[in-house]
Amino acid sequence: MTPFERGRLQRIRLHVMPTKRFKTFAISLFAGLPLDEATVTPVALIPFVLRRGTANTPETIAFREKLDDLYGAGFGFDVYKRGDSQIVQFRMDVINDRFVSSDTPLLAASLQFLGDVLTDPLIENNGFRQKYVDAEKTTLRKRLEAIVNDKIRYAAERCLEEMCADEPYRLHPLGRLDQIGAIAPAALHEHYEQWLENAALDLYVVGDTSLEEVSRLVTEAFKLKEGTPSPYTKPDVNHPVKEVKNVIERMEVSQGKLNMGLRTGIGYDDEAYPASLMYNGILGGYPHSKLFLNVREKESLAYYAASRLDGHKGICTIQSGIEFANYDRAVAIIKEQLESIKQGNLSELELSQTKAMISNHLRELQDSAYEMIAYDFNSVLTGKQRSAQQLLEQVQAVTAADIVKVAERVQLDTIYFLRDRKEA
Amino acid sequence: MQTLQYPNVQETLYREVLDNGLEVIVLPKEGFNKTYATFATKYGSVDNRFSVGNQAPVKVPDGIAHFLEHKMFEEPTGDIFAVFASQGASANAFTSFDRTVYLFSATEQIQANLETLINFVQNPYFTDANVEKEKGIIEQEINMYRDNPDWRVYFGLIDALYHEHPVHIDIAGTVESIRQIDKETLYRCYETFYHPSNMLLFVVGGVKADEVMELVRANQSAKSFEPQGAIERYFEKEPSAVKIARKVSELPVSLPKCMMGFKEKQAGLTGAALLRQEVTTKLMLDALIGPSSKLFQQLYENDLISDSFGHEYNSSTGYAFSVIGGDTPDPDELINQIRAAVEQKLTGGIEPEAFERSKRKKIGGYLRMLNSPEAIAGEFTRYRFRESDMFDVLAFYESCTLEDVNARLREHFDFNQLAVSIVKQPEK
Repeated sequence: MTPFERGRLQRIRLHVMPTKRFKTFAISLFAGLPLDEATVTPVALIPFVLRRGTANTPETIAFREKLDDLYGAGFGFDVYKRGDSQIVQFRMDVINDRFVSSDTPLLAASLQFLGDVLTDPLIENNGFRQKYVDAEKTTLRKRLEAIVNDKIRYAAERCLEEMCADEPYRLHPLGRLDQIGAIAPAALHEHYEQWLENAALDLYVVGDTSLEEVSRLVTEAFKLKEGTPSPYTKPDVNHPVKEVKNVIERMEVSQGKLNMGLRTGIGYDDEAYPASLMYNGILGGYPHSKLFLNVREKESLAYYAASRLDGHKGICTIQSGIEFANYDRAVAIIKEQLESIKQGNLSELELSQTKAMISNHLRELQDSAYEMIAYDFNSVLTGKQRSAQQLLEQVQAVTAADIVKVAERVQLDTIYFLRDRKEA
Repeated sequence: MQTLQYPNVQETLYREVLDNGLEVIVLPKEGFNKTYATFATKYGSVDNRFSVGNQAPVKVPDGIAHFLEHKMFEEPTGDIFAVFASQGASANAFTSFDRTVYLFSATEQIQANLETLINFVQNPYFTDANVEKEKGIIEQEINMYRDNPDWRVYFGLIDALYHEHPVHIDIAGTVESIRQIDKETLYRCYETFYHPSNMLLFVVGGVKADEVMELVRANQSAKSFEPQGAIERYFEKEPSAVKIARKVSELPVSLPKCMMGFKEKQAGLTGAALLRQEVTTKLMLDALIGPSSKLFQQLYENDLISDSFGHEYNSSTGYAFSVIGGDTPDPDELINQIRAAVEQKLTGGIEPEAFERSKRKKIGGYLRMLNSPEAIAGEFTRYRFRESDMFDVLAFYESCTLEDVNARLREHFDFNQLAVSIVKQPEK
């Protein structure tokens, strides 16, 4: 794998991977700040307003037409949390000029577009345009209200919220409904200035280009203030469990959604991180894992029964969709699986299958520009340098005893169940 | 082995039809670590009445193609996921209206994984006990979808559009219909539709074409398949009108979900003509109502739509319809404003600039898609089963004219052909 070439322009760290393997240029800009109840909502709103228009292209239609003219350049953003940070990520994806007859160089035009969005927004009366702020507040409100529509996702988020009730991690990356109303265009603009001044900023480009070219284009396209890049703050992964929280919520649903939250106490920079990947893989990461085999295949209790690791926050979550009446049985079977790993009930086959699956994933991500970017960004986020190749070797070296050690650190924190309204 | 070159997208395909009828396509991607393979049968949820050769036609329970897909993963030696896992491959499968696809992606042991893929799909193992056991799992899958409002509004729309055509039946069937499934019916469907002459193997990624072909040839020549007569699929005549103009379902949602569907009066296109109609319609819809259209901005500013608003066009030989919609506080007002704008365009036509922009965007989107082995394999198979070629899409976009798009617009938007599906909060 070609390594990223690194540079710096004022407050932005640059990461460029020159390669001819793709038909496109992939561009990602990450802006991260600590999750904080006071700023989470305005920060979430900022990208929504920025994508309505810039000083150069104030009207939204013209703004979107520009993207269409760049051969339908993909442009989007996402707001999510990693560790205890709230991250706004802008993505652009534009085809390499060699496939089309274009009069403007597409990489330059895309970076100009992104630079305008980020550093040269439309300002009126010392604030963002009132109409855009109002409309995007409505959009943000709808997005938060819509979480309940997808019951699987809703249950997953509610479980985390209950589990992390006294930590910043309880916050939804899109902020809080009750804070949206009060945000005014001028105040939002101040938040934006603060955000640009304080956020950790990283720009990635993968494609047929060079660090020199990207540096030159960014210098031309971004209105950068002087300064140096900000680091990310280390997340809190040690949160001892005093007693298991049991939460039952009722709604009109056909199927019960059972979610369980576990604390691993192991972050991305921990020595035991590779073993925690193995723990999650053996527990519920794959169709050969204990949860799938026991909850689904052996007992026919569920269509899906899986676990997911948030390695930055040291949280492993379990999710399954079951009949309401099967709650006790499903919880008991899942607890048996947790206990079984702790007892060292790990076959050679489970180990080798899980290693093979994780290794495959680590090799595959090198075929996707965005996945390579996402992987590399982990080291920016944590300060822990560990290439995909190194992680692959570390995973291969994990022993059953290492996984048992992880299991001994794992604590069940919360059991959340979304069920129907009928009382049993 | 045939070599097919597509210089405008810098891709080369290798193709061979084996003696038993299996079609094999290899697309080597230089510099890729990953290999992605799909083994697909032209058999989906709509194929519920059929015959082979001189046999009498049979009707099978709804959801059986999907049930069969689940059961294929079980072998006498155990679960096939475990074998793939041991070989470092991640495997999966899905069933759609007109095909069932088995797939894996892997970076190592490609030969072993290819053998596993071909062998497990060509080795059915159904018992009374394992068929019964699967019913509980699929019941939970059906219940999961029942709670999903996006899925409900979409399938509610298709159900409102079609009287007879089985596209309106849920792909997974119903809890009642899957209870009727037994191992004999599964074998009957399997033997009909999993014959090599009804299947396509597509391999894309870091592979050498001749090595893949050699492996598949050797694998297939070691097995014997009785030659099979032609598969005949039977469909009731579908009336041209929609079945229900408005269908409302209730689920807990933050805002109503509303989808409008326009049913083509006449389906029945095949091959290149079907593909051209799909390309022209998609371009037309994007210019009319895509994110940079005036109509989209108007609806957004009037707070009638959100980012979830979108459109698609779904067509095959037996059915064809557009879908337009998303979350909205006021379904009736949304429909009124779309109707007014479309009626204006029926006389005035799409603006030339909007057409040119959408065309560029579609060409760019197509080229971007070619970065993804998964998308290439998926799209290629989908088009191939409709007797068309995915690599023609670019030329069709390039040759599409404003006149084509306006003619399509006038033909497609007939408000007598409109059905609406709404999912809303239950009344207290």
